Amino acid sequence: MEELITQIFEFRGLEPIGAAIAIALGAIGPAIAIGMLASKAMEALGRNPEAADSIRQNMILAIAFAEAIAIYALVVAVIILFV
Amino acid sequence: MGKLFSNPKLLAIAVFAVAVLFISFLGGAVGAGLGLGFLGGPIPLIQLPAEYITKIGDYELMNTYVMFWLAILVLVVLTFLATRNIKDVPGRWQNLFEMFFEFFINLAESAAGGRKGRMFLPVVTAIFLGVLFSNWLGTLPGVGTIGRIESLEEFAHHKIEAELEDTAGSDIAHDLADHTFHEFFEEHGANEDVQEAITNFFADHGDDKFVVFNGTSGTGTIPFGHGEEFKVRLDQIAERPVNFTAAEYDIFVEQLEHPTFLPETEHEELTQADLDEGRVGLLVPFFRGASTDLNTTLAIAIFAMASVQVWGFMALGFKGYGGKFIFNPITKPIDAFVGMLELIGEFIRVISFTFRLFGNMFAGEILLIAMAFLLPLIGIIPFLGLELFVGMIQAAIFAVLTLIFGSIAIIAHEHGHEDDEDGHGAHSPDGTTPAVAGQEAHN
Repeated sequence: MEELITQIFEFRGLEPIGAAIAIALGAIGPAIAIGMLASKAMEALGRNPEAADSIRQNMILAIAFAEAIAIYALVVAVIILFV
Repeated sequence: MGKLFSNPKLLAIAVFAVAVLFISFLGGAVGAGLGLGFLGGPIPLIQLPAEYITKIGDYELMNTYVMFWLAILVLVVLTFLATRNIKDVPGRWQNLFEMFFEFFINLAESAAGGRKGRMFLPVVTAIFLGVLFSNWLGTLPGVGTIGRIESLEEFAHHKIEAELEDTAGSDIAHDLADHTFHEFFEEHGANEDVQEAITNFFADHGDDKFVVFNGTSGTGTIPFGHGEEFKVRLDQIAERPVNFTAAEYDIFVEQLEHPTFLPETEHEELTQADLDEGRVGLLVPFFRGASTDLNTTLAIAIFAMASVQVWGFMALGFKGYGGKFIFNPITKPIDAFVGMLELIGEFIRVISFTFRLFGNMFAGEILLIAMAFLLPLIGIIPFLGLELFVGMIQAAIFAVLTLIFGSIAIIAHEHGHEDDEDGHGAHSPDGTTPAVAGQEAHN
């Protein structure tokens, strides 16, 4: 087991662990943000079903902003692994 | 469940679906662990930069570039179909395009206020349709799976050339590009940079696996089977030259051109005959989704943000728009600082646009490859659906964000409490001055 770890370390250093940490920590924030956004949107939808279209559009826009942060973390992980 | 068992057609379909699921599960990567994987294939090479299809002189034709032109071609054909005979009661294609236009006209008018919003329409709709089709065309079958075989020797050629360009300068790299390995090593064999480049090549890629393709003639196929058994590692067939003598160079080139297993390596599933009757190399796809290339998304992002700046200047004039960012740091220090941040923010938006679209599409491509690898026949189906949905959402987000930034850019800076801006204190949100609004009201 130890020999395996040493072998992996010699070839690629700590790259895989770096990539894993990058995406793992980077996805926590956006996940919480999207959950909060969606829950508030559901609340608003329940209170005012007539505004459903407008609420839905704005919610999707806001979710895209939050998800972009997770995508940045993913791109960093991919760059660490493949470049 | 009773209804399921009583209806024979439904039952047959359900049994068929479960059987397919079971077979693909056993045939995939998980089944390979159990010793079965008969439907698997070697996982393709995933790399960030786009690969080239052919070289025309010095120019490399990239596979994503070809896909983007394909998307434009499809768009032109569809638009031609939609606008051929414009009728009052629209036909199918015309109806589809009218749906798109209605969505964006409503959005533009609500974001920018009134008919003024229509100045945003050409750019925003172009961005939406372009990004949409370049995303969707990346999910077609054949994209990423049909391509040319890059042989081991070409691969080594390119990697060492790239390394030399970094370390030794472009003269030697161009020399290598123009000549074969034999000629190059005759001339530059003693050069230390070359030797170091070869050492680094082995250090970086010694563990890389290459696929053994069936067939030695023009076309080759990837054989079915337990995925990793048709791959061969670089250090199983080539060893690093130690003293860099002419003989060692010859051996190196020979190993690249006619791969044979080194004397003491263990190769479980492949035999030397497999290597002789097939070709060792990598698959370079002819087509790859256009938005999976960083250059495409960067180009569209620069175009979008440049349009935003142009709209700002058109609506507010040079001093008006420039006056939103640049303040006199002595009289208004805080405003100067905020203005500088906003100016930097305009450039950061380019980066944000680029990576949002690129990250979504590239991650989708990797996801499709991984799922096809894990669950061969049917695993990819729900993820194709996800890809279509994400492609549409990302195109819409790109266009809508450009629209929103544009409508922010044409709003004049509101300073209700400043003495020197008496005449301009009351701007309506859509950027029109009170005089013009009065004229419009008279009409």
